[in-house]
Amino acid sequence: MTAMPDRSNAPPDRSKQLAALIFFQGLCALYFIFDVLRDAREGDNLHLLPEVAATIGLVIGIAVEVNLLMRMLRRQQHMEQGLGVAAGALAELIEDYFTNWGLTPSEQDIATFAIKGYSIAEIAKLRGSAEGTIKTHLNAIYRKAGVPGRAQLVSLLVEDLLRAPLVPAKSSLQ
Amino acid sequence: MPKRVHVWDIFVRIFHWSLVTGFVANALFTDPEGNTHKWIGYAIAALIVLRIVWGFVGTVHARFSDFPPSVSASLGQIGEIASGRRHIHKGHSPLGALMIYNLILALIGISATGYMMTTVTYFGVEWVEEAHELLVTWAEISVMAHIAAVIYESGRLGINLPKSMVTGYKELPEE
Repeated sequence: MTAMPDRSNAPPDRSKQLAALIFFQGLCALYFIFDVLRDAREGDNLHLLPEVAATIGLVIGIAVEVNLLMRMLRRQQHMEQGLGVAAGALAELIEDYFTNWGLTPSEQDIATFAIKGYSIAEIAKLRGSAEGTIKTHLNAIYRKAGVPGRAQLVSLLVEDLLRAPLVPAKSSLQ
Repeated sequence: MPKRVHVWDIFVRIFHWSLVTGFVANALFTDPEGNTHKWIGYAIAALIVLRIVWGFVGTVHARFSDFPPSVSASLGQIGEIASGRRHIHKGHSPLGALMIYNLILALIGISATGYMMTTVTYFGVEWVEEAHELLVTWAEISVMAHIAAVIYESGRLGINLPKSMVTGYKELPEE
C-alpha cells in the first residue's frame, strides 16, 4: 500500500492553533492557581470563592480543549495512510461505529488499519507493537462489533455506504 | 532479548545529573544570599555553556540537529499517545526536545539574572530579583512536568528511561 503523506484532511494548522491556545490558557491557569493559593494564605475569603470558581472554569475549559485536540490528532493519524476521495464522510461514519461499539483509542486505531486492509504484521509495525498484541486487540474489536472476522467488519460499513449517500449534504454534517 | 542501544554519551549523563544536583541544591537548600548559592550558580552556567557547545560537536543523539524543536512532530507524538501507538525514539522524543530547550532557556535566564544581582549596577534592583524568582518557579514547574512525563513515557513505551540516563543505554524491545 502506498502512503499519501501530502494530503491531509484536517489542516494541521488547526491543531497547532489549538495546541497554542491550550499552552497559553495553561499558563493563565497556573497564574490563577498560584494567585488563589497566595490569597488563601492571606485569608481573603470573600474574594476567594469567585476566583476559585473562575479557575475551575478555566481548567475545565482546558480539559475540553485537550480532549478535542486528542481527537483531532487521532483522526489525523488515522487519515495518514489515505482513504481516498470520500475520506471525510467515510471517516465520520467509521468513527460513529467505533464510538457505538465502545472501542478504546488503541482499538480504534487498529480497526482503522484493519478496514484499510493492512495485514497484522503491517499493523504491528505501524503501531510499534507485537503481532500478538494486535491479534488480541482485533479479537476484542470483533467481539465488540459482534462480527466473526475482518470481512464481516468491512461488510458492515459497506452495507451502510450502499444504503446512504456517501457524501452527506453540508447541513447534515453540522 | 531486547536490543541494547547506546544513546547518551558520558558527557550528557554527567551534565544531566550534575545539573539535577546543582538545581536542587540552589532551589531548595542553599541560602540565596550566600556564597555557596553563587558558586553553584556559576557552575550551572558553565554546565549550560558546555552543553550548548556539545550540542554542536557532541555524539549523534547529543546534537541539537538530532532533536530540532518541532511543533508538528510534538503534535504527532501526542497523536501517537492518543491512538495508543508506540514508536520509540532512540534519542530525545519531540516533546522531550521541547522540554530541553525550555529548561536550557530558563536556566540561561536564571543564571543571567542571578549574575546581575551580584553586579553593582543591578544590585537590589527589583525587577531583576522578581525575574529571577519567576524563572525559578517556572523551572521548578518544568522539572516536575519533566519527571512526570519521563515516568509516563517509561510506562507507555516499556523502557526504563531514567535508567538509560544512568547507563547510557536504552533497551528497545525487539521488532
